Amino acid sequence: MLYHIDRPTSYIVVGNRLKGAKPLEVTFKDVTLSYDGKREILHHLNFTIPEGTLVSILGPSGCGKSTTLMMISGLLAPTSGKIFFGDQDVTKKDALARKVGMVFQNYALYPHLSVLENIEFPLKMAKVPKKDRKKKAIELAKLVHIDDQLDKKPGALSGGQQQRVAIARALAKEPSLLLLDEPLSNLDARLRIEMRQEIRRIQQETGVTTIFVTHDQDEALHISDHIMVLNQGQIQQFSSAETLYDNPSNLFVSQFIGEPVINTLDITDFDRELEGHVDAEILQRAKKVGIRPEALQDHDTGSETLTTIATKVKHSEKYGREKNALLDFHGKPLLTTEMRAEVADEQELPLYLQRHGFYLFDENGVRIFGGDQDA
Amino acid sequence: MKLKVAMVLRYVILILGAVIMLMPFLWMLSTSLKTQPETVKIPPIWIPKQLQFSNYVEAFKQAPFFQYFINSVIVTSITTIGQLFTSILAAFAFSRLNFYGKNFLFVIFLGTMMVPGEMLIIPNFVTLSQLHLVNTYGALIIPWLASFFTVFTLRQTFQSVPDQIYYAAKIDGASDWHYLWHVLVPISKSTITAVTVLQVIGSWNSFMWPLIVTNSENLRTLPVGLQAFTSDAGTNYAWLMAASTFVIIPMVILYIFLQKYIIAGISKTGLKG
Ligand SMILES: Nc1ncnc2c1ncn2[C@@H]1O[C@H](COP(=O)(O)OP(=O)(O)OP(=O)(O)O)[C@@H](O)[C@H]1O
Ligand SMILES: [Mg+2]
Repeated sequence: MLYHIDRPTSYIVVGNRLKGAKPLEVTFKDVTLSYDGKREILHHLNFTIPEGTLVSILGPSGCGKSTTLMMISGLLAPTSGKIFFGDQDVTKKDALARKVGMVFQNYALYPHLSVLENIEFPLKMAKVPKKDRKKKAIELAKLVHIDDQLDKKPGALSGGQQQRVAIARALAKEPSLLLLDEPLSNLDARLRIEMRQEIRRIQQETGVTTIFVTHDQDEALHISDHIMVLNQGQIQQFSSAETLYDNPSNLFVSQFIGEPVINTLDITDFDRELEGHVDAEILQRAKKVGIRPEALQDHDTGSETLTTIATKVKHSEKYGREKNALLDFHGKPLLTTEMRAEVADEQELPLYLQRHGFYLFDENGVRIFGGDQDA
Repeated sequence: MKLKVAMVLRYVILILGAVIMLMPFLWMLSTSLKTQPETVKIPPIWIPKQLQFSNYVEAFKQAPFFQYFINSVIVTSITTIGQLFTSILAAFAFSRLNFYGKNFLFVIFLGTMMVPGEMLIIPNFVTLSQLHLVNTYGALIIPWLASFFTVFTLRQTFQSVPDQIYYAAKIDGASDWHYLWHVLVPISKSTITAVTVLQVIGSWNSFMWPLIVTNSENLRTLPVGLQAFTSDAGTNYAWLMAASTFVIIPMVILYIFLQKYIIAGISKTGLKG
């Protein structure tokens, strides 16, 4: 809201994107990166981030998320491949020319400047008149709820406060592309949710293309239009949150997305339970089995049920309205969140394996059964 | 109780240290106010019978000290500013830029720090005389416009600034030049102050070099000018000390104003994470 009201006219000149102007689309074409010329950190990345969307890059620590952002911002040149903003090839342009906004993983605030001066810095570099830039900076400080700390130095702020200053600074020059490297990782749970809604709101109001790096799937699922799952320098899947969950393209994605984590078994853990229910040819190729905890029901669901399996209850407990049970299946643990009936420990229990949330993966981890086959 | 004893002991030691450090200074002040016979009296006296303020007036009559003072100010300020400027640029290059032969160059420069200053006097003199600069302001200034010690000290400080700060500045639209002057230099303020003060003091007190490369009176700096009190007939210590007091006053004032930075610069180089 504050982002729009009373925008000083000079400010419009500064922002490289006028309101209503085209937000950026970002494309990677076969981008590879190696820091030392020996070990490849990112392998042949190909993707397009549609203009005006909020995309999360989600992946475990060290998978190359920050490195990807550095290449988008122009701080790091790809070893090979091309980067496009819209249809403009920006591969050879440096950060100064690309004019993106960015929040760094460790905030990177200027220690010698006050909060206000930090937020003003990009405007000062853009030669915005002193009065206008102060007004804009205060507006942004209010937006991120840091306007009571304006005169402090970053060293005197908590991690969460520093993070908010960094967000305000990134927004100051109203970039056409906003890059956020784990911007919420240091906030407490409540503020984190508040800030992520705030970021979403700002993004939707301004239409700025936003790339949001996180290793928190919950954050990614809530904030983004699309999620790119990255692991070991490769894109595992790039789709909507729903598709990621319902149609994981491989074992890694199925295990990475979902709370509680999907049950994973070897195909050899099954006797003949799947025979006749899954194509013999597919069964032949399958190596791993993924079963979402909600795909194990304790009652017959008719056509939704693929087959039944015989298990033994090891332990069951109730969390709020969820009733979990840890089961034993041929010596392997299985978790279900769908218990309806009261069960006793050590009780034999047949479970109805649902079609939805049951997957088979081949030796490369690629999904060959379950979900939509064409998704 | 124990605590109090330790406290008292600590202060006694500190006071003792302070007295020892101040002794020559006090001796200079006291001598500058003595009569000629009093300066050589044994055992020495600390407080003259009658304060001879006239020594100051007499001392000034012996040589054109005002000219010397101007010379010292010119030489010290130009060498300090010049050296700081070249050192900041070089330290930035060594800490942030990538260029061919960077490490090799750095090692060579580092090697020059191992050469004692006295050994450089003759080659520097020869160079300057071939450039026809002997007995000019150039001779007093040019050799001191670069100092690898300063470069090295600043480079260490610059390197302690996280890469991310540099990247952030780039993202915020700062060129290398802007980053250097708007971010890096202000962040490194305490180290820069410390090297500046060291340079000012070194340059102000420098004696050997100005003595060698100048011979005309109107190019003399203050420390060289103090020679005026030493003649074949002996040294007039009272006048010498009066003039010396005058010479060191600017440094004392400088120190009083900047002591906070000097101490900070020496005790802590680097940034809070
Ligand atoms: N400057 C560098 N020089 C060499 N290797 C680097 C450099 N920066 C990162 N790496 C390596 O590149 C890989 C990816 O690092 P990156 O920082 O992109 O991971 P990340 O996904 O952001 O992880 P995190 O979630 O921990 O921030 C890691 O193996 C890391 O060790
Ligand atoms: Mg990272």
